[in-house]
Amino acid sequence: MRVVVADDVMLTREGIVRLLHDAGIEVVAEAEDAEALLQHVRSTHPDVAIVDIRMPPTNTDEGLVAARAIRTEQPDVGVLLLSHYVEPSYAMRLIEDQPERVGYLLKDRVSDIAVVVDALRRIVEGETVIDPTIVSRLVGRRRREDPLGRLTEREREVLGLIAEGMSNKAIAARLYVTERTVEAHVTQIFQKLGLPESPDQHRRVLAVLAFLRGA
Amino acid sequence: MASTDARGRLGVTIREVTLSIRWTDRKRLAVGVVGVAYALAALAVAQVPGSKTFAARSGATAALVVVAGLSLIVSGLIVTSVGPIRRLGELLILAGFTWFGPVWEGWDFGPPLVRSIGMLLSGFTFALLAHLTLAYPTGAATAQADRWLVRAVYGEAVIVAIGLALVRDPFFDPNCWINCIDNVFVLWSLPDLSRVIVVADRWFTVAAAAAVVVSVSWRLAKGSGAARRALLLIVPPMVLVFGAIWARAVALTATPVEDPAEPVFFALFVVAVVGVILLALAVVWAAVRSRIQHRSLGRIVTDLREMPAPGSVEAALASAVGDPELRIAYWLPASDRFVDASGTPVAEPTAGADRSVTTLVRDDRHVAVVSHLATLPDLEREIGTAVRLGLENERLQAEVLAHLEELRASRARIVETGDEERRRLERDLHDGAQQRLLALSYDLRLAHASAEAEGDERAASLLSDAIERSKAALDELRELAHGIYPTILAEAGLGPAIQTLADAAPIAVELRGAVEERYPSAIEVAAYLVVAEGIDDAARRGATFATVDARREGTRMLVTVEDDGSGTRVPMVALADRVGAVGGTLVLESQRTRAELPCA
Repeated sequence: MRVVVADDVMLTREGIVRLLHDAGIEVVAEAEDAEALLQHVRSTHPDVAIVDIRMPPTNTDEGLVAARAIRTEQPDVGVLLLSHYVEPSYAMRLIEDQPERVGYLLKDRVSDIAVVVDALRRIVEGETVIDPTIVSRLVGRRRREDPLGRLTEREREVLGLIAEGMSNKAIAARLYVTERTVEAHVTQIFQKLGLPESPDQHRRVLAVLAFLRGA
Repeated sequence: MASTDARGRLGVTIREVTLSIRWTDRKRLAVGVVGVAYALAALAVAQVPGSKTFAARSGATAALVVVAGLSLIVSGLIVTSVGPIRRLGELLILAGFTWFGPVWEGWDFGPPLVRSIGMLLSGFTFALLAHLTLAYPTGAATAQADRWLVRAVYGEAVIVAIGLALVRDPFFDPNCWINCIDNVFVLWSLPDLSRVIVVADRWFTVAAAAAVVVSVSWRLAKGSGAARRALLLIVPPMVLVFGAIWARAVALTATPVEDPAEPVFFALFVVAVVGVILLALAVVWAAVRSRIQHRSLGRIVTDLREMPAPGSVEAALASAVGDPELRIAYWLPASDRFVDASGTPVAEPTAGADRSVTTLVRDDRHVAVVSHLATLPDLEREIGTAVRLGLENERLQAEVLAHLEELRASRARIVETGDEERRRLERDLHDGAQQRLLALSYDLRLAHASAEAEGDERAASLLSDAIERSKAALDELRELAHGIYPTILAEAGLGPAIQTLADAAPIAVELRGAVEERYPSAIEVAAYLVVAEGIDDAARRGATFATVDARREGTRMLVTVEDDGSGTRVPMVALADRVGAVGGTLVLESQRTRAELPCA
């Protein structure tokens, strides 16, 4: 797999690159700002661009803007955004903007390289990846009348995995159950929460996240 | 203020040109008696057979001349008694006395001295009327050109009078009409020079009469509404008088002998007489109007109650003198600047085309500078003690308000500097310690992997612990950095930041209202803190849920946190300070935290 890494802080960027290299992932280019990132993506055409959300010049949401530009210019290049902070708003903005092949992970998560490799693989396969920390924060939100109370323990687990962007197949593998069982859980969950079921993986993630945030 | 001084000095100069009389009723009575006797004498003289003046032509013309002259004198006396523009009254009285000059000059077989003096007096009527018109309605010509014109007409009248007195021998004047015998002053009989003087005087009169009309028209065209209204009344008499004088001078160049029987001259005479009467009435009206303005200046006393709202003195003065554009600027010596009644800094008022400034001084201290219509009478002299006290009071109030505003601004600056500092600190943490720790955790992970690969279990387990500790350190550092400054607020604005607060809140939080736009960072931070601390406080008081509403209403942002907590509230001093620093208000109710922030 070929990736481009963009982070303005050299120390972090080099750390990420070393980890990726160790895991056998080819880093074809490194960039320290959004502009360089876009150039490298154009010239090297990687599978995924790994992008720090906060880069010069304004140190705000350059990564999000760059992700949009990359996905518009080259829809087959995936984008994995890295962030220091747990910001559901950014994750929502990212997946609202982009129909697929995007991910949002916390930077700490990168040290667990297996998670990163898994995320990259899922992005290449067209899935959406949302950091479990964000999902657990949204699932754990205090609610006046918690609609999640209607779900069984297992159903809540499945709901979290859906929100992380996993396909039924991946969920089945994670929970050591059959895909059939997962499908049954999903139907139950969507019915109990009154959500429209969608075959579209991406829409499913968005609907669940929006529900978790709004309810 | 320099312009005020200049104006003041000029006022004095003009006053010196005329008279400086302290008018008393006794003096007025004396002048009145003398004036009436003088006019009756002139009426009698006009009836003397052989006189060839207009007044002598018929009983009616005699009456016209006497009525015009008396109306000048009487109007003048009225104006001096009414008050504010006494100088115009003095000019009227003088013009009334010179008005009868031709009658005396035409006194057939009258005393030669009287006839000679009559001849000299006649020349000054034009100068006095011109001065009167140019000084209308305030009593002093304000424009530089007008002041020069006034000096020119007087100067010319004096030169012509002296010249004619010394060299004109009526006996040798082929164009003499009403007096062909007497000039007791003549030293040298120089008919040619005398004729030159007469012709030059005529042309000067043509030019000066036109200049007076042009000057008044110019003031009329350039002046503001109120200035124009004040001038309007003098326009018809001015056109009549100076039109007739001008036409007479022009006619005399063609027909040098002014025979009252000549229809052109007679018509011009009638026009001029009517004009003079109207002119006198216009001045009386201006005096009365000016007096009324002063009365209302005095009445302001009653309008200014114990605690007038800022700006009431200005409003009261403006309505009293009928100048809606009147402005008062208060001088704050401590901070060396001008402010209005609300304490807002304003530019130093300056005099303009038809606006003057008056500096009001009390105990050698500048209290205020008033910018007002140039046509207004002398404000400094006319406003009463009550208004002065009102002004002094309002100046003090303005000073306090200005200080308050300064304090508020300085408080806002302190808060802003603090925010800036926190933001910088957060950025430093993010770019420094957090990144280094992150890189360290990556390196530990690599080391761990390689220790495992080499089968060094002891090292692998040590590294695994280290990884966990670095993660915990990262978490703490992240919390700390977020606490120092919530970057989401600066990056994405109030809406997403409040949403994030709700995501992580210890109690259920419902969001209402929506804030999409961005606001000045001080406002966003204040609103964010109201929500954050409102939620925390609700949780402290045992609430299970809170409803957050942030919305813009006009020029204000309303931020409300409602909850179901039951504990007692404690004052949120820091938060109130923060809200106050941006000019907002914070209200704490038993189950509600509510802030109003300005966001123009």
